[in-house]
Amino acid sequence: MRAQMTHRAMAAALAASIALPMTLSPVMAQDFKGKTLVVGVWGGDIERLLRQNVVGPLEAETGAKVELVLGGTGDRLARIYAEKANPTMDIAFLNIYEAPQALKDGVVEAPDPKSPLYTEIWDGMNDGCYAMSLVGLGIAYNKKLVPNAPEWADMWKPEYKGKIAVASYPGSEGDGLLGVAARLAGKDEHDADAAFAKVSELKPIALTYTNLDEAFAMMDAGEVAMAPMISGYVLSALKTHPDIGFSFPKNPGPVLVRDMLCLVKNSPNPELAKKFAELALGVKNQTDYAEQLYFGPTNKNVKLPENVSVDVIDTPDEVKGLLQMDWPYVITQRADWTQRWNKDVLGQ
Amino acid sequence: MNSSNPSSKAALFLLPAVLLSAVVFLLPFVWLVYTSFKTQGSGSLLLADGLTLKNYGRLLDDLYFVQAFGRTVWMSALATLLCLVIGLPVARLIATWSGRAKGLLLALMLVPLVSGALLPSLGMIHFLGPLGVVNGTLKMFGLIDTSIKFLGTTTGVILGMVQAFLPLMVLPLVNTLSRMPRDVEAAANSLGAAPVRVWLRVILPLAMPGIIAGSVLVFCAAFTSFVTPQVLGQGKIATFGTVAYQQAALVLDWPFASTLAVVVLVAIGLLLILTAQFNRLIARKRRIAS
Repeated sequence: MRAQMTHRAMAAALAASIALPMTLSPVMAQDFKGKTLVVGVWGGDIERLLRQNVVGPLEAETGAKVELVLGGTGDRLARIYAEKANPTMDIAFLNIYEAPQALKDGVVEAPDPKSPLYTEIWDGMNDGCYAMSLVGLGIAYNKKLVPNAPEWADMWKPEYKGKIAVASYPGSEGDGLLGVAARLAGKDEHDADAAFAKVSELKPIALTYTNLDEAFAMMDAGEVAMAPMISGYVLSALKTHPDIGFSFPKNPGPVLVRDMLCLVKNSPNPELAKKFAELALGVKNQTDYAEQLYFGPTNKNVKLPENVSVDVIDTPDEVKGLLQMDWPYVITQRADWTQRWNKDVLGQ
Repeated sequence: MNSSNPSSKAALFLLPAVLLSAVVFLLPFVWLVYTSFKTQGSGSLLLADGLTLKNYGRLLDDLYFVQAFGRTVWMSALATLLCLVIGLPVARLIATWSGRAKGLLLALMLVPLVSGALLPSLGMIHFLGPLGVVNGTLKMFGLIDTSIKFLGTTTGVILGMVQAFLPLMVLPLVNTLSRMPRDVEAAANSLGAAPVRVWLRVILPLAMPGIIAGSVLVFCAAFTSFVTPQVLGQGKIATFGTVAYQQAALVLDWPFASTLAVVVLVAIGLLLILTAQFNRLIARKRRIAS
């Protein structure tokens, strides 16, 4: 009996899945059939969720194709700048400090304050582009070497000398660490001398990592005690690394980092791009981002269960407790700071 | 020119291919050189108007880049030498074998070439790491107490380069050694030459074209490598490749990154010209000798 029901249910689902696109397509698909929306985004779990919550539904609804170009933000920034006169990419996911720069240089559309995309996102977040998710720079640590959830100052304790890892510079992690170090020295990121002097005290750096697996392998091996890392992926990776913990420090708080969704200026498919953005910033996708990747939502309408909310930055009040850096200033210092980092911090 | 000339007809057939390579290969190259004479406007990533030598000045001004260049040269040279020392016996073994065994050895040799740079480098992490195969074996035999640090050191990067680029040395060597008449060696032996002498006076001089070709290939590959130094150097060993990557993909200073790339291309161009001259010299000597 039960088997029969399941069969019937399956048949119904199958019929619906065939009939649904058929009923929708004559009306809506006409405009977009044969079009391809090109989206530059990170690979891995983000790609998986976007395919499930955005690409699939969008292709079914519009008849268009969506091509995800995977890579780091450096790749897609190079592409949208090189193609400024004749863009072929419609959407580029950038990070907190790249978005305002891209807007200033006229390669992305300014967020439209009247669009529902804008109004559904918390005030003050759409800086340069649309705010996609909220994460914070905290500390990943080896629980065997560091017994309690560490504060920033603990990284400078003598027993951990030579056991601190950092991400490759320049990047949010390194700049965030400079901001934190400057504050520990009683200054802020505008005093580069203070920031670099303090970070240089961490020398020798145990490892400069380009991916989390590399860093976690060294942490599991006991070669690395602590590393400033961005919440999100790290929290989801902890499930497979029982000896590694993650701490959101309090003094100062974690450094706010934001992923941004940017509509490329004069892109070939602006309407499709808006539809993509609505789904990506929508409640379903942002809820999945939070529940599966620990990426905090920016959409006011997302309501997270208590157990998820604990690990995720998901309210404006929480954001107030985070350290907000002067990113426009930091980005103007990028070339100089990179050389200082190479020489002073890495000793190259 | 007579259009019925068969060679000019053949040239006509080649024209589409030549045009295609010109467009897809030469144009980006010209663009790269052009970009190296540009700068970004202040507070912007867009290219500013006008051409300038500023990037080339910066390269010479900051000792960091000169040092990275020098470091890359000596690391690549050492990797080339190690490849030669390891590659010669291997190539000779392959050249003297025949049939299936030879095919299998050659195929094994080719694996690192076709598997890309990243996978072997990640494998090398586990091979050379503090808990890796090398350290584990040494500890097992009681030769060391604490792990030797390979990762994040120039030693580790050079070992990675040797692992990655050995096939580029072995393949040209196999080619040259296979064509070497076997009776030359037998003649030397029968005239009482010791094995070392046979190697130094007979095999090496005859293998010289393969040695030069292999060395140039390995040196160029090592000099321009990025993944191997990045992964095995753990971001702590600055080579010209990692510095160019940092400038292009992270700092986003595309004009300066172009300048670094142009410098590498010019250096490799000079090396190839020198090699061609050297080859000509050897060929002339041979002609005189014979």
